[in-house]
Amino acid sequence: MFLPLMSSQKKMNNQIRNKLISLVVVLWLAVFYYESTCYYYLQPLFNRELPKMKFLFPPAGWIMFYNVGDDFGYAEVYGVKNGTPELIDPHQILQTRAIGYDNINRNALLTVLTPGEDRSFCPFLRRKFPYFDKFVITYVEYPHLAEQPFEKTQAVVYTCGE
Amino acid sequence: MKNTWNTLFLEDRPSIGLSFFRIFVALTVGLHVIPSFFHLDDNYLSTAFKALNSTFFPLAFINWVQQSPDALVIFFVWAFVITWFCFLIGLFSQISCILMTACCYYFYALNSFHIGTLSWDILLVTLFLMCVTPYHGDYFSVDALRRGDTDAWRRTRPFFIQRLLQLQTASTFFFTGLYKITGEGNWITGNPIYYLMNYPVQGVTKNFILKEWMAVHPQFCYVTGLMIVATELTLPFLLFIPKTRRAAIVLGLCWHVLLVLTLDVPTIFLFLFPAQMMLFIHPQKITDWIESKRRINAQSPRPKVTYDGGCGFCRSSVRVLQVMDLWSKLEYIPGPKGLSEMRLDFPDGKTYGGFFAFRRLVWILPMLYVMIPIVYFPGAGILGPLVYRWVARNRYLFPVFHSCASGKCHL
Repeated sequence: MFLPLMSSQKKMNNQIRNKLISLVVVLWLAVFYYESTCYYYLQPLFNRELPKMKFLFPPAGWIMFYNVGDDFGYAEVYGVKNGTPELIDPHQILQTRAIGYDNINRNALLTVLTPGEDRSFCPFLRRKFPYFDKFVITYVEYPHLAEQPFEKTQAVVYTCGE
Repeated sequence: MKNTWNTLFLEDRPSIGLSFFRIFVALTVGLHVIPSFFHLDDNYLSTAFKALNSTFFPLAFINWVQQSPDALVIFFVWAFVITWFCFLIGLFSQISCILMTACCYYFYALNSFHIGTLSWDILLVTLFLMCVTPYHGDYFSVDALRRGDTDAWRRTRPFFIQRLLQLQTASTFFFTGLYKITGEGNWITGNPIYYLMNYPVQGVTKNFILKEWMAVHPQFCYVTGLMIVATELTLPFLLFIPKTRRAAIVLGLCWHVLLVLTLDVPTIFLFLFPAQMMLFIHPQKITDWIESKRRINAQSPRPKVTYDGGCGFCRSSVRVLQVMDLWSKLEYIPGPKGLSEMRLDFPDGKTYGGFFAFRRLVWILPMLYVMIPIVYFPGAGILGPLVYRWVARNRYLFPVFHSCASGKCHL
């Protein structure tokens, strides 16, 4: 009598366990595929902005290297002392060394060109490089890498005053 | 339909693959995050330059995290290091995974500048799945040693977490390929590989042997690009077809090696993605392989571990050795009560005792490999025997596994 009871109890526990797992799996797959396709496929399909789940997925899906253009741009930072500008090695600005890759080559410094970032970046530069009187943050662009590899433009984006 | 669902997600399968994967997830998280702690003033303290990821986090959460005083940041650094280490060694695996993930979120919200990349988001999705169950602590873990379960390596669990991780890997591959040729992707209309090869030195392309040659051969680059897209679109399917799985795993591994050699891609590409490929190996095949190795070893002459059979602590310690003895390379002989030290006798006649027996064991048991630098550290040959003798003298005072206390510990 006891053994069959035990086995039916185990069977019921297994059923509950399987239902719970199935629920988790279905919910997860729904969210995962929704978030993977939302920005570039679902939104154009429904022609409106769809809700985005925070805290877990990237904003536009898995778009690694999906669009690599013929142009390339990066940030250059100059320290100015007595009116003479001097290029600051980007590795001196971002001293954190990642393992197996170079964050500078991933163009991490491009972030400093985002509008509003000067509020945080200027005090940072002044603290790290007190020698300089002011800083000039520029954007360097190669507009046509393949056709004109040496054509390069450079423009000042903002300056960090004294 | 129901049977397929059961096979896909509900069937119990050995969790050893997931346990092995845990180590790679921990290494990836540690190697990605810990370097950013060496310049706290640049990265996280009030003096840092910060980039905030407002598309990933709600603004209210970011503002809340940004109010952190420096002392709280330092607290989180220590919390991360401790929980990360616990997760790496598999101590309270699930709890440590949850706490470590919480710390990751904290630092990501505090400053996404160094750690925030698209592959970091993939890592967070992986961590989320790892937080759901404790299965990843079943083996290659301190948890397994604490439990003293000698069959931990063949323990079976519902397969759904490993399956979801497989689906995540395969889907990431697929969508990465799909985005390249649809929407704003330009791998059909443009020649991205050619552009990458012509990037200036500041760019993401590393200097590798073929780079200069490829930079002047656009047609080769275009075909390479198409082959990359074709691989990304087909690999997910090849990984799930049993006949092509092995080739697909090798292809996936080579894929990531090539990526790391040619592009400045984050640590995650080097440590996590190749390990994700290994998740496609059927766990039953792994345990069958281990079982066959154990059978072969059991039939060959093996080193004998002789211990004090009348001491609960010694029996417990031998139980721990047994848990770690994945290949069944040792034979365990209970010696007479009061035996002063553990003996390790090799079939060729060599004999070691006490600390020096333990020092030999670290070469035999893979889970003890991490102890090699410690037991061979300069001075360990002097200090080690002293510590061993102190432990041996007080061995009757140490706690033991409940099942080993009565002398009925099954070894």
